[in-house]
Amino acid sequence: MSAVPETLPALAERADAAYLDFVEGFREYILGKGADFEDRLNTVLLTEQARRGQPWDDVEQIREYVHSLPLGRLRDRLSRTQQEMKWFALRRSFESQRAELLAELDRYDARGPGRLELDPNFVHPPYVNVHFHLQPGGYYKDALSGYLYHYGTKVFFRGDNDHDELHAKLVARVPAPADGRVERILDLACSIGQSSTAFRRRFPSAEVTGIDYSAPMLRVAHRRAAMLGDDVTFAQRLIEKTGYADGQFDITFAFIVFHELPLRIIHETVREAARVTRRGGIFAIYDFTGTRDKSPYQRYHRWFDARHNGEPYSQDFCDCDMNAILADNGFEVAAAALGQRSGGAGYMTNWFATRV
Amino acid sequence: MSEITQQTPEGGTPIAGENPVYLKDPVLDATVRMVVELAAQVWIERERRITLESLLEAQGTLSRAAIESFKPDAAQAAALKRERARFIEDVFKELRRIPPTV
Repeated sequence: MSAVPETLPALAERADAAYLDFVEGFREYILGKGADFEDRLNTVLLTEQARRGQPWDDVEQIREYVHSLPLGRLRDRLSRTQQEMKWFALRRSFESQRAELLAELDRYDARGPGRLELDPNFVHPPYVNVHFHLQPGGYYKDALSGYLYHYGTKVFFRGDNDHDELHAKLVARVPAPADGRVERILDLACSIGQSSTAFRRRFPSAEVTGIDYSAPMLRVAHRRAAMLGDDVTFAQRLIEKTGYADGQFDITFAFIVFHELPLRIIHETVREAARVTRRGGIFAIYDFTGTRDKSPYQRYHRWFDARHNGEPYSQDFCDCDMNAILADNGFEVAAAALGQRSGGAGYMTNWFATRV
Repeated sequence: MSEITQQTPEGGTPIAGENPVYLKDPVLDATVRMVVELAAQVWIERERRITLESLLEAQGTLSRAAIESFKPDAAQAAALKRERARFIEDVFKELRRIPPTV
């Protein structure tokens, strides 16, 4: 039996790996039961709410109260610090081997299985010019963005993303269309293509396409898929304007992208998904849980993540009514189920919608 | 809390700037960052030492006494100094982020 190829980029030194291993553990500690910020601060917030005799009106009120507490301010400091440390170490490690890493991408660009379709005339819309999660250069400005993202999300998911575990699990839960026909699958904002390859493995005879605006991400996606032997097409296209024909896809998929879109683009993307998904096809979305389902601490965490972790659009997404947006665009939504995840207050929800 | 923020062209929550101050005093922020950084550095060393000691013992190539009495030659000493400079930079680079005025 041959081993699965390691698609995570190698770090320059053992010390870099140990540093990031520390960050992963520290992240778990401050988000989870170690420092126990979530439960302790939420208890305080609920106690204060009871004392005031009314629920917290808006997140600004919660923020003001959390910032009056030394524990709240320290929680913010440590949350920001672990994220900065991750990027500091990753950038340094990859920078020292930039030429080799780029040469590796060059080697894979034209190699199969699968293919890479980059658009030399691609224009990035202004809304993508954000350093999401504080990633240096954002998702597309550094030729190494895909490598940074891959290792960055390994640390972020704390053991759920060492070898695509999370993506495989979430893709497995997506319902197939009622008629069972799955010939073409579209992975919107596929980044480094982990869900795309998971779909190809689940439906080996289906044609799987992953699209993203970031060429560096797509190059890593293609290299990864080729290394794994998965035949997937990765194309540089906008999710709100894909350019594909009407009703072309049996399953359209979006994993944690909607909270990184301005409201206007959320609407455009759902409209576009409705256009390219055939009748009876599935539009499956995993993303953050809406504000109304959150505890006061989770609402605070969302604000902090938006302002201090480069997620400017996430609050608007969490406040919007995705069920209504989907319904307005011709989707029938099965009850949105919560995908609970410990720590991080970033609990995910899924929307499994059928194109009617 | 630092109030320096940037707004995206598409609105949304204004994003904090490069060096937000969370603890009211930037020196305190830097101190906390240094403590966490030090912890990371300590872990790196511990991970490596555990790795080395395990390998050395398993292979029977070195005794603990030899480690205690090791004296670096000139090249090794220079390399150690470079490592030390990197270590100090990693931990104390935070000092440069303290603004001269608040």
